[in-house]
Amino acid sequence: MTERAEQPDVVIVGGGISGASAACRLVAGGLSVVLLEKQDAYRDLVRGEWLAPWGIREAQRLGVDDCFSAGGAWEIREWMTWDESVSDDEVEAVDMTRFIPGIGGPMSFPHHAVCDLMTEQAVAGGARIVMDAAKIAVTAGPRPVVTYQTAEGAHELRPRLVIGATGRGNTVGRQVGITMRNSMHHWGGGMMAEGLDGWPPDVQAMGTEGDVMFMVFPQGYGRARLYLNFPTVNKHRYRGPGGVERFLAAFRLDCLPDQGKAVTEASPAGPLSVWPSVSSVPEGPPLAEGVVLIGDEAGNADTVLGTGLSCALRDSRIVCEILLSTADWSPRAFDPYVEERSFRLDRLAFGASIISRLHVEFGPAALERRRRVRRLMARNFAAQVTGLLNMVAPEDVPEFGFSEFFAERLFRETA
Amino acid sequence: MTEKRTVHVNGVDIAYVDEGEGDPVVLLHGFPDSSYLWRHQIPALVEGGFRVIAPDLRGFGDSGKPQDVESYGMQTIVNDVVALTMHLGIRRPHIVGHDWGAAIAWMYAFLMPRRIDHLAVLSVGHPGVFSTPSLEQRAASWYMLLYQFPGVSEELLRRNGWRLLKEIFGRDGDYDRYLRDLARPGALTAGLNWYRANRSPAAELRPARPFPPVLAPTLGVWGAGDRALLEEGMAASGKYVKGPWRYERVEDAGHWLPLDAPEQVNKLLLGFLGTERPAHEERRPRRRL
Repeated sequence: MTERAEQPDVVIVGGGISGASAACRLVAGGLSVVLLEKQDAYRDLVRGEWLAPWGIREAQRLGVDDCFSAGGAWEIREWMTWDESVSDDEVEAVDMTRFIPGIGGPMSFPHHAVCDLMTEQAVAGGARIVMDAAKIAVTAGPRPVVTYQTAEGAHELRPRLVIGATGRGNTVGRQVGITMRNSMHHWGGGMMAEGLDGWPPDVQAMGTEGDVMFMVFPQGYGRARLYLNFPTVNKHRYRGPGGVERFLAAFRLDCLPDQGKAVTEASPAGPLSVWPSVSSVPEGPPLAEGVVLIGDEAGNADTVLGTGLSCALRDSRIVCEILLSTADWSPRAFDPYVEERSFRLDRLAFGASIISRLHVEFGPAALERRRRVRRLMARNFAAQVTGLLNMVAPEDVPEFGFSEFFAERLFRETA
Repeated sequence: MTEKRTVHVNGVDIAYVDEGEGDPVVLLHGFPDSSYLWRHQIPALVEGGFRVIAPDLRGFGDSGKPQDVESYGMQTIVNDVVALTMHLGIRRPHIVGHDWGAAIAWMYAFLMPRRIDHLAVLSVGHPGVFSTPSLEQRAASWYMLLYQFPGVSEELLRRNGWRLLKEIFGRDGDYDRYLRDLARPGALTAGLNWYRANRSPAAELRPARPFPPVLAPTLGVWGAGDRALLEEGMAASGKYVKGPWRYERVEDAGHWLPLDAPEQVNKLLLGFLGTERPAHEERRPRRRL
């Protein structure tokens, strides 16, 4: 080693939403923090860009809500149910602004711009941030060790605690022996677009038609984050030359107003990224001695639910509260976190499996299933309970929505 | 751009840019800008042989942000400018203002006739015109009423990701920076206090004395796309100017003239500042009889 190891209170590995927000909160609480980020500068990596109202509340509690707003967060107010199973005269607008008192609709924002502002806030509060940190290695223990490399050479840190926040890469989790149970239901892709002047800026849409499930999340000023979910069989359809054009053209859908012209005539405003939509549930608690995982790294539900960032902020908030309220940072101090998170992930994973089964399966049988479920939901409002998971925190969703009985009823009457 | 300096004058920290050598020009920004508004003008004026001083006015940018409304009376802010120029040893600068900065510049000009050379005002006309606004101008100034309610205005503007503020500014000015600036501690209340101290309905009722005339040579510039300030405000300002008065209308600009039409504004300023005979020549020592 070229230097004597620095001994900060906390080293956070990963400067995404969960890691950067934790850095902000911990320095505000008076702890010394080093944040390691592998990118040399934040850029659009096509990450989650949708924050549920309950996630906004978490951001407020962490004191990072202005980073979202200043980074370009745009409140979305309505959710239109454009879908091949919904006829034009049945299309509804769901008002998303009134689910949590004092908080409006969900927000859509450029992920990398928000990370940038959060790290700026953390640095202003006294955190040290290392960009372009490579070969990060974490060794768990009562005094954990973090090594990494920069252009200047090799470095070592000996913090009291390491927070692993490397997202779906699970870099820290794998190094400290936390194993995940992975499953994949479909593939997904996303891209930022601009020039959607014909798209109503207050309206988000999700729906299924043919063999794609589309999502449009406006970010104001004619910009929107576009996502597509599609079956694994044809997973390379948007790769290679002309991929971007095929991606935009896939929004030419009969269920959208003007056959989706507002989107198909938009221009790319960032890279197109395509990925297998994997959900990972940890096989044990997401921690080791001296190491706690937060955000997607601690386990995640299918992206189709859109709750990944809200979860990340909840993780960040709870772990920071523990660190700031007690001197005992041993694994058992995090019991309340482990317990709450496992409860939460169970509910989200359950909800996500219903949503993906309902909306990200394709073909005549799946279409018929969606039609029948819609009829069931129209007859009995309570059957829409799963939809609440996007808006309010998982613990505030009525329990019956998470029973096998409910799921079976939903699909039995309709299968 | 060089680093900003900070000086404590008139009870508040004022951050300012000071660049170039030559006749001094003071650039005064408006709401919710800072000296950054002038980034296209500063190099052009320095190149043109001027010394440019661009403060962050109190409540904005890196300057102090008192939280009480009383700290934002126009006379107090004029005194900031006087104190800053005195501190820098500047006796008779050209004064250029935009938006609130223009309102300050007008007031500076008629209160301090011996401490000004040329006056150039962008977007905002003489306060005399604004004190009897047309119903149309009142409608365009609707946001000034919204800004009047301490705590409430802030909450309305901030909530739901500053949605209302974003809608008010649209894509005008430095819209993607304003939120970052206003999110700084105390900045939003400080900015709104300018309106509370000077544009409240109660302020309109205060008895007003006639305005002293503006003696300095004056250039008024207005952008044809300005939705907040109507042309009447600038075009009718000439009657308050006793010195030479020139009015320029810029077709391809909105409210934020220094950003919307930087080349034209630079050209107008360079073609105006120092070209007319100032109202008060440097005084020579009086001959004794």
